[in-house]
Amino acid sequence: MNIEIITPDKNLFKGTADSIVVPGTSGLIGILNDHAPFITTLQKGQVVVTTSKGEQTFDVKSGVVEVLNNNVIVLAG
Amino acid sequence: MANLKEIRNRITSVNSTMQITSAMKMVSAAKLKRAQDAITQMKPYAEKLQEILTNLSSSLDASENEYAQEREVKNVLIVGVTSNRGLCGGFNNNVVKKIKTLVASEYKNCNISVLPVGKKINDALKYTTWESASSELYEHPEEIWNDLTFVNGSKMADSLMQAYKRGQYDQIVVVYNSFINAASQIVKNEQFLPVQVPEQTEDSNTIDYVYDPSKKEIVKDLIPNSLRIRLYKALLDSHASEHGARMTAMHQATDNATDLKKDLQLTYNKARQAAITSEILEIVGGAEALAN
Repeated sequence: MNIEIITPDKNLFKGTADSIVVPGTSGLIGILNDHAPFITTLQKGQVVVTTSKGEQTFDVKSGVVEVLNNNVIVLAG
Repeated sequence: MANLKEIRNRITSVNSTMQITSAMKMVSAAKLKRAQDAITQMKPYAEKLQEILTNLSSSLDASENEYAQEREVKNVLIVGVTSNRGLCGGFNNNVVKKIKTLVASEYKNCNISVLPVGKKINDALKYTTWESASSELYEHPEEIWNDLTFVNGSKMADSLMQAYKRGQYDQIVVVYNSFINAASQIVKNEQFLPVQVPEQTEDSNTIDYVYDPSKKEIVKDLIPNSLRIRLYKALLDSHASEHGARMTAMHQATDNATDLKKDLQLTYNKARQAAITSEILEIVGGAEALAN
């Protein structure tokens, strides 16, 4: 699935990945391929992206995640 | 005809002024490029956020939100966005003028406070009766231009939201130069608070999302975020406009200096030629007198 992590200042990540874990407001949420359309807000924590090359982590303070048709967009604040 | 030395001095001074203005133009061009990049960078974020928000509010009444309450307008805060530096044509003056017209027309019977972003509007404030809100709301708002990031812009937006929530102001308006292209900027006044709920479009809610937490919670979380983005966008726009305006102004100045230099050079050459001619005449006259 395609993942994009963007902040208003820069692009943090863009590419395909196997899974992504985000710190949702009601707890950690892992998203895998073919996830249903989904929107959640984020709380302070770490976004962990697992690609075929390994894991990458990004710190976020707030934000929102939209999952649609295997496209995950993380608007990090 | 002016003497040769005088003209030569003027040519030298016009020349060095021209060097300064053309250097400033190039500096502005480079800074404009970066400012434009920042706008392009922010755009997808802003668009996606707006899309999600519109999507959500089409199925939910967002006007209940604490930032969307319309109140009777008595106390108005105007955020005037100008630059810290001059030499950019009418850039700063246009903002001040726009605020003046707003105060004279729309907000005739209101208490006006101004949050002066940028040193230039501070100077203008000295000659008006408007109250400056910088000490109580946001200390040294002009320093934001030293480090224009989303984090800093958010701090300013947050303090505006707090003041609105406290009931200190009934309406907050942002007046800034919106960036069209390097040569043209348009002064805009945008209502910041209360929030205008995005227009609902018919086909916007075709996707059946799963929401976590509830839609209401998400909207509550997203509205402050979209406000931060809006203020940040206004700041970025103004930043790019400033460099665009300065670039145009400096280009104009360089052109004028070139014209001036050309004129002076012509006068100088004429004066020089006249001096030579009269010298030859003198020599010929003297030689003739000797021959006789």
